[in-house]
Amino acid sequence: MSTELEQKLDTLTDADYARGLEVFRGGLKEAEASYLNACVRCGLCAGGCHYHRTEPELENVPGRKLDHIASVFKAHFTTMGRLAPGLVGAKRFDRDMARAWVDAVFGRCTLCGRCSMNCTIGIPLPALFRAARRALGAMGLVPEDLQATVENSLQHGNNMAIEREEWVETVEWMEEELQADTGDPEARIPLDKQGARCLFTVNPREAKFFPLSLQASAKVFWAAGEDWTLASDGGWDLTNYALFTCEDDQAAAIVKNLTDAMTRLGCQVLVIGECGHGYQSARWMGPEWLKQRFPFPVVSILELMDGYLNEGRIHVDSARNQEPVTLHDPCNLVRHGGISEPQRRVLRRAVANLVEMAPHGVENYCCGGGGGQLAMSRYRNRRLAAGKKKADQIRATGAKVVAAPCHNCIDQLSELNKEYQLKVQIKTVAELVAAALIVPTHSEVLP
Amino acid sequence: MSGLMFHGQAVALNEEGFLVDPGIWNEELALALAQAEEGLEALTEEHWSVIRFIRGHFEEKQGAPMVRAVCKATGLRLQRIYELFPSGPAKGACKLAGLPKPDGCV
Amino acid sequence: MPNQLFTPLGTAVVAAGVWAVAGLLVLRARARAFGSRQPFAAAAGDPAAGIRYAFTGAMSPGAKESVREHLPSYGLGLAFHGGIFTAFALLALSLAGFELPRSLWLGARALLALGAMGGLGLLLKRLLKAELRGLSRPDDFVSNLLATAFVALALVSPGQAWLLSAILLLFYAPLGKIRHCLFFFMARSHFGAFFGRRGVFPPGGSHVH
Repeated sequence: MSTELEQKLDTLTDADYARGLEVFRGGLKEAEASYLNACVRCGLCAGGCHYHRTEPELENVPGRKLDHIASVFKAHFTTMGRLAPGLVGAKRFDRDMARAWVDAVFGRCTLCGRCSMNCTIGIPLPALFRAARRALGAMGLVPEDLQATVENSLQHGNNMAIEREEWVETVEWMEEELQADTGDPEARIPLDKQGARCLFTVNPREAKFFPLSLQASAKVFWAAGEDWTLASDGGWDLTNYALFTCEDDQAAAIVKNLTDAMTRLGCQVLVIGECGHGYQSARWMGPEWLKQRFPFPVVSILELMDGYLNEGRIHVDSARNQEPVTLHDPCNLVRHGGISEPQRRVLRRAVANLVEMAPHGVENYCCGGGGGQLAMSRYRNRRLAAGKKKADQIRATGAKVVAAPCHNCIDQLSELNKEYQLKVQIKTVAELVAAALIVPTHSEVLP
Repeated sequence: MSGLMFHGQAVALNEEGFLVDPGIWNEELALALAQAEEGLEALTEEHWSVIRFIRGHFEEKQGAPMVRAVCKATGLRLQRIYELFPSGPAKGACKLAGLPKPDGCV
Repeated sequence: MPNQLFTPLGTAVVAAGVWAVAGLLVLRARARAFGSRQPFAAAAGDPAAGIRYAFTGAMSPGAKESVREHLPSYGLGLAFHGGIFTAFALLALSLAGFELPRSLWLGARALLALGAMGGLGLLLKRLLKAELRGLSRPDDFVSNLLATAFVALALVSPGQAWLLSAILLLFYAPLGKIRHCLFFFMARSHFGAFFGRRGVFPPGGSHVH
């Protein structure tokens, strides 16, 4: 049991609980009210959850996690919950229930939504876990390290507090590497190119520690002759950890960095790099947070690469990726994003042997690192234990390379690789495409 | 929270193996962390050049340096950094340099 | 069987039915009072196609691991619900004073028998599996017992006791989890629309672009 959490619970007043309930209630619409009334506690969701698959116990059953929330909903917002709490299982929102909520929605859930697909009724459980996270946030109960990542974005415009000069220097370095790699002294990684067609965005982790994936993406753009740019200041970071704290005002402020950059640079398409939660944040949640229709399309770089290959703008030789490759399906991109086929079409062209996991696509398991788990140190052991399901899936494919179009997943997969001795390489899809590129001759690239 | 036995004393590590108190770091402790957390039996001069640079940056600016800065200061190629620290610059090198875990997707 | 509509018990069954429908309508109104969302993000797929899929393919063993892996439970559930609908059909006929044609008797009795076994099977599962027992509330047992008794009595003794069980079942319907007879449809529609808009349902995609 976390002492940090207990200390916070010690300080809560009645007003805090009332505030939590108010925020919880405010996050519910007809859909959520229907879900909260609909669960029949059949328990068939259990196997859908990677936490339960790896540790079969009651608290890991998604329906149990939901029941903690539904109990409070019943006690405070339903007639039967007030009249016969014992019969219907209603519980007032108190210290025990607040602790149960934190444990259920932060400690045992990656918001991956696999339980939704397996629910007898058809309840998208993450919708309710998000409402609970939002309420806990209003009570100051979001784990500190998760919140710190959000604060970085709010204060620095990116979630790793990278300074503008540091970012620019890294981009310039990658541009030099790209020129050396392609042999084209004109190969560019454009910064702040006014009126470029595409504004490309990345995960700060690439800039800070793993820039090779940025170089790979840039190489694909170079080969396709794409008119693109990065923003030098504000609007280059696609992450939005407020998707996980569920504090919508902060989420809106963070996604606004991207829409502002689109306006400032006059770009036509917002391109999200390989990142699941970044895609869901910009493509699906951003317009809701900002309460506006975006005047530009938001696309994943996976869709762009798929288009380049379809249109013959780039050519690849799959023989350059000989080792068997399997593909991980990031939950925010696939189950919650609707992007499942583009990356498969790309890989079928770019690698010699694509071996699908069982199950895959919308039915695939979470890597275990979603929902902000990688930023919450206190649940690290659970996260790695729950990741065993993914490790087993990968091992069963016999693949030597795992393609993971999400930097968050890559980080969890890297830990699983070490923990479970998988001996695989983990790469972005762009890295595999870049490795397979049949490089155009110099004159073909020039306009 | 877990611990690392070091000179007969338990050094507090957080759940991910980072020092709870970055202030107690020294080079002997770095070696102990390398053995316990990174599976490295010994640290070469290349390792030390990276660790000392990261530590110096941390003491000056309170954060982890960009990997660009690490490459520039040590003269090592990027790929070499990944080879030296199997868990990567953040969970490998920064951990051995006694930094707290960097925020974000790492 | 004579028309029972105007016997005291028959009238009580009708009253309980009115209570159940009214209660469910109140619950629906309360859920609707939470307000709806007008999404801003451009749709990638068709919400209506998502809803159609949610009520068809998405519930099939091929699409749903929880069904594939729990075929006995799935079967019990189908049988239970089939029995309940059969018993309600018989109840309506009986109240109106119609006789079920003899040619349909065997089929109806088979459905009721399967339904009673389904209800009993699910009840036993809930009692015997520790994890499911932990997940359960008294409401779960009450709801099951009321419905199972209603189906079983329709089979073995479709007289006054059966009508009484119908009254209890209908009275309880809006109070406990039997309300899922309404919320199943509301929840699944929202579920289908959500994944339909996002181009996740139906699989393979009715992507707009």
